[in-house]
Amino acid sequence: MSAGARRILGIIFILFLALLLFLPRQSQEWLSHVGGPIARILEIPLHFVASMQDSISEIWTHYIALQNVWEENRHLRQEIQRLQGEQNLLREKTIIGTQFQQLLAYQETAPMTTLPARIIGRNVSNWYRAIIINKGDRDGIHPEMGVITEAGVVGRVVRVNPTTAIVLLLSDPNVAITGMVQNSRDEGIIQGTPQGIIHMKYLPPLSPVQPGDPVVTSGLTGDFPRGLQIGRIQQITKADTDLFQLGEISPIVDFSKLEGVLVITSFQTSRPESSPESAIAPSP
Amino acid sequence: MLLLHKCNLVTIFLDILLCLGVVLTQATFSTWLSAKGIQPDLCFVLACVIGFISGEYKGLMVGLTVGLFQDLLAPGGIGLNMILKGLAGALAGITTHTISTITGPAVLLVTLALSLGTGLASLMVAYPVVDALVLFYGLSSVLLPQGLYNSILTLGIFWLTNKIGLSMGMGHLVRGR
Repeated sequence: MSAGARRILGIIFILFLALLLFLPRQSQEWLSHVGGPIARILEIPLHFVASMQDSISEIWTHYIALQNVWEENRHLRQEIQRLQGEQNLLREKTIIGTQFQQLLAYQETAPMTTLPARIIGRNVSNWYRAIIINKGDRDGIHPEMGVITEAGVVGRVVRVNPTTAIVLLLSDPNVAITGMVQNSRDEGIIQGTPQGIIHMKYLPPLSPVQPGDPVVTSGLTGDFPRGLQIGRIQQITKADTDLFQLGEISPIVDFSKLEGVLVITSFQTSRPESSPESAIAPSP
Repeated sequence: MLLLHKCNLVTIFLDILLCLGVVLTQATFSTWLSAKGIQPDLCFVLACVIGFISGEYKGLMVGLTVGLFQDLLAPGGIGLNMILKGLAGALAGITTHTISTITGPAVLLVTLALSLGTGLASLMVAYPVVDALVLFYGLSSVLLPQGLYNSILTLGIFWLTNKIGLSMGMGHLVRGR
């Protein structure tokens, strides 16, 4: 590269850095416009790689990892391998099928409109707990939409590309939703921590919350309806100087084993003000 | 236009493909590479390796490109990874000016320092509240293990590229210029 080209490159980089530092909002808008078409190109191989991942995983598990045993009894092992491969393939298909059937069955009965999506990628850095799903802007996904499974709350959509979306998990400190202890009806803020632990903040000091109590969404924020499961209280802490109690929650959803999710596209809000009895009676 | 005339378009295209491949590997297969919950930042490793091998300008360009791709698939704002990876690539390249012979320990130390620096910047941006507790957790549980992981990977790839480059008689590729 010539000295002139290097100088131009250096000046462009410094200008870009200055733009990001001094005009963060405007530069984000500009970068989003520039990034849109690039994201569209990036999504094509991402979908392809994600579809290839299962096959590669299958090959790895059933061929490479069992290569030592194959040497002990070649013919017998080939047969066993083939049968095991078929069996595992069928089992895997059954598990995935059952999972998606459960999701679809839940989707039909749930009091909200949801869109099923498959997970095609995970964290691209150690600083965020996120997943990438195979539905995006074209499918009607928007930022701030809630994401769930039939078991409970998963997280929230934070960025949308044309055919993919990035979902921050509930265990990420950048996600906060309103929750409610199902037995005592005390509300609080559910938020992740950098360590990946989920906390329930601002629980009233005299609340009779006990470890093991189920926690559900309170429906106060616009992205989740009331009554979706979040997890169970694992531990309650309150120092003498603290104004509120702090609950540690074990989530109902195992974030590391997620394969399919439902994105809440719309739901009917049902606040307890309309029927005070519903606020007293525990939900089924 | 000046840049386009001077640069080899095929090389640029191959560099973009390399960046794309690394980002896709990071997004889909990173859990396979993770050790005790810590995954290496392959985009950072790529920027550093290119910086060490081909100098600061190529390190900067590849860092910016791979950073942009990473930003598009990450929850944070666009631009942070671009800047950090671009800087990492450029600084890795600059060390080839200052150190006459790039040795293994030099690669390891420079990459560790760059990983800690860029990681600290990411931590400040990623978490809404950065207090002493978060900083301690970030340093002990993520920054240091990730830095070591990144450094070892960078050293491994750099060593491998060196071996391949020298065995193929491409010494000019592995001496930083």
